[in-house]
Amino acid sequence: MMNLLNYKTIILIVLAAILSLASSCEKDPEPDPQPTTGKLQLNFDFYNEADPMEWGIKKYTNAAGNEYNAYYVKFFISRLTIFKDGEATVLNKFHNSHYVGTDVAPSLQWTIADDIEKGGYDSLSFTFGFNDEDNESFMFVNQPEVNMFWPEELGGGYHAMQLDGKWRLSNDSLTGFNFHLGPGQVYNTSGDITGFIDNSFIVSIPSSDFVINEGNTTSLILRMHVDKWFTSPIEYDHNTYGGSIMEIQEAMEKVVMNGWDVFSIVK
Amino acid sequence: MIKIYRNIIILSAVFLFATIVSCDKDEKEDIPPTVYNPTTYNMEVPQGFPTNLNIPDDNPITEEGVKLGRYLFYDGRLSGRDEEDSLMSCATCHLQSAAFEIGENHPKYPDGHPHGLNGKETPHFPLPLFNLIWNNEGYLWNGFISKENTNLGIPSYGIPAEPQYHLTNIESLVWMGIVAEHEINGTIEMTEQMIRSIDMYPALFEAAFGDKQINIDRISKSIAQFIRTIVSSNSKFDKYLRGETNLSPAESRGLVLFQTEEGADCFHCHGSAGNPLMTTHLFYNNAKDNVFNDPRDRYGVTGNEIDRGAYKATTLRNIEHTGPYMHDGRFKTLDEVIDFYSEGLVYSEYAHPLMEKLRPPYGKGAELNPPQKADLKAFLLSLTDETLLTEEKYSNPF
Repeated sequence: MMNLLNYKTIILIVLAAILSLASSCEKDPEPDPQPTTGKLQLNFDFYNEADPMEWGIKKYTNAAGNEYNAYYVKFFISRLTIFKDGEATVLNKFHNSHYVGTDVAPSLQWTIADDIEKGGYDSLSFTFGFNDEDNESFMFVNQPEVNMFWPEELGGGYHAMQLDGKWRLSNDSLTGFNFHLGPGQVYNTSGDITGFIDNSFIVSIPSSDFVINEGNTTSLILRMHVDKWFTSPIEYDHNTYGGSIMEIQEAMEKVVMNGWDVFSIVK
Repeated sequence: MIKIYRNIIILSAVFLFATIVSCDKDEKEDIPPTVYNPTTYNMEVPQGFPTNLNIPDDNPITEEGVKLGRYLFYDGRLSGRDEEDSLMSCATCHLQSAAFEIGENHPKYPDGHPHGLNGKETPHFPLPLFNLIWNNEGYLWNGFISKENTNLGIPSYGIPAEPQYHLTNIESLVWMGIVAEHEINGTIEMTEQMIRSIDMYPALFEAAFGDKQINIDRISKSIAQFIRTIVSSNSKFDKYLRGETNLSPAESRGLVLFQTEEGADCFHCHGSAGNPLMTTHLFYNNAKDNVFNDPRDRYGVTGNEIDRGAYKATTLRNIEHTGPYMHDGRFKTLDEVIDFYSEGLVYSEYAHPLMEKLRPPYGKGAELNPPQKADLKAFLLSLTDETLLTEEKYSNPF
C-alpha cells in the first residue's frame, strides 16, 4: 500500500513537471494588441497639362510660347506635415527631407517611417527644398543628394530643384535651360554679394485629405504638374532670363511664385 | 498494479527527458566547424566622402585578398604568357605615377592611346582607377558595366553573349581585360593556367580564399578588392576642406569660377566642395561634336535619344596627370580643355542642357579671359593628390 502511494506521488510530480515544461516550451505569445497606427506612402508622378510627362526630347510649349523639352527634374521636399482637426504633425523628423529624381526610380516611392495614428486627416503640406534653418552645407555625403550642392559663395546648402531641359530660340536652335532653385543672393551696386534670400516655400495641398487605417499603408500620388512652373501667376519666358538662373534672384522669385499650385494629391 | 505504475513512471520519465531535449535543441545554435577567417580590410572613409560603398556581398575586402590582388594587378603574366613582349596586366596602362591612368609619355603608348597585345587600339582612352569604390553609376565611359546591366558579353569587344560573361562590376573589368581583343586578347584558361604555374600564388590564394584553388573568379575578385582600396583624398583641395591649409588667391578665384554659373559652371557635372569625388558619375553630351556615330556612347547602352554623344563625367581629381582628355583623347593638355569649355563648344541638339553656355549663334562657352583661365587652372591643379601617386601600399610589390 505504501509503495502504491509513493508511486502515485511520483507520477503526480512527474506529470506536473511535464505540464509545466510543455507550457514553458510552447512560449504561447500573448495576442498582439490591435495596432492603432498605419503608414503613409507617397508615390511621385509627373504630368504636363493632361498627360503624363515624357522626359527627353518630347516637345512641349509653355504659357509664354517657348517650345521646350525637359530631361529630368530633381528636388527635395522637407518638413512633411499632416493636419488633423487643426493640429499639425511633422513627419520624418529624423531625416527631415526626401530626395526625388526622375532618373532614380527608388526615389519615386517614399514610405514614411513614422507610425501614424489611425483616422482621417484633413491635409498635408511640405517645404519645397529646405528653409534657411535646415539648409546646411555638407549635411549629405552620398550621391545623388550631394549632386544638389549649392555653392557656399551663392548661399550654401542644396538646390531645392534642378529642372533641366532645352528651349528653342528664335533662330530655331535648341539651347539648355537650368531651371534651378536655391538660396538667392543680394548684390550691392558693385556687384558684390551682401546677403542671401531663402527661396524655399511651403506647399499646402488642397483636397489632400486622407485616411490612415490601422496596420495598413495608405498610398497617395503626389503629382507634379511640370507645365505649372512656367505659369500662374507669372508667364515665365526662358528668353527673358536665359539658360541659368541660380544667380538671378528675380528669376528664382518667379519660380517660387509659380510653385504654389505645381503639386496635387491623387488618391 | 505496482508494475503498471512503474511502467507509467518509466514512460513519463522518457517523455520528460525527450521534452527537455527538444526544448533545449530549439535554443541552441549548431556550432560550425572552424572555418577560414580572413582579416577584414579597414576601409576608412575620408571626411566628407560617401558612406555608400560599392562592395559586392560576395566579395568583401580582406587584407589577404588585397595583398593577392596587388600582386596580380602588377603581374604581366596575367596575360597568360610569360614572354617579354607578351606581358600585360592592369598596371601596363594604369600607372600609379599617372594617377592610375595612362598619363603622358607612357613608355609603350607615347600618344596616350593604348593598344592590345595584338596591336588593336582600345575603342576609348583609359579612365583612372581610383575612388572606384564610390562609383555606383557604372564603369567605362558609357557606364555599360553596371549592376543594372542585363546584357551578356560585348560581342563588339570579342566577348561572346554567354552567361559566364555578364559584366556588372569592377570584377568584370578584370576578366574583360583578359579576353577583350584590344587588350590582352587572351583566354581565361590561359590566364588561369599561367597563374597556377607560378610558385608564389597558391599560398597567396589560400590566404585570401581559404584554399589553393586558382580560377578567374578569384583572380577577378582579388584584383577588384585591391582596386577598391585605391583612394585619392589628400589633395591640397582636400586639405583646404579639412581646414588644414588655405587656397592661394588664384586657386580661390578659380574655385569660385568652378562653382558658379556666371563663371565656368563646372560643378554641376564635376563635383564641388560638397561632392569631393569631383564627379557626379553621370553621363553628359558635353558639346564636343555635332555628328554622333560612336556605338559605344551612352546611347549605345540606354537607347535613349538624349544620350547620343554622352559619356561619363570623369573625376577631375589628379586631372593634371590624367591626359590625354575626353573619351577619344582629343585634347592633349589641360589648357586645351579649358580653351574648349571657354570658347570651343560645338552646337548640336544633343548637347546636354547643363551646357547652357552653348547658345547659338555666339555662345560657345564660358568666355573666360586669360587671367580667369589661369585661375581656373590653378584650382584644377589643387586637385592633384601626390599621396596617391607615391603611396607605397598601391605600388608595384615585385
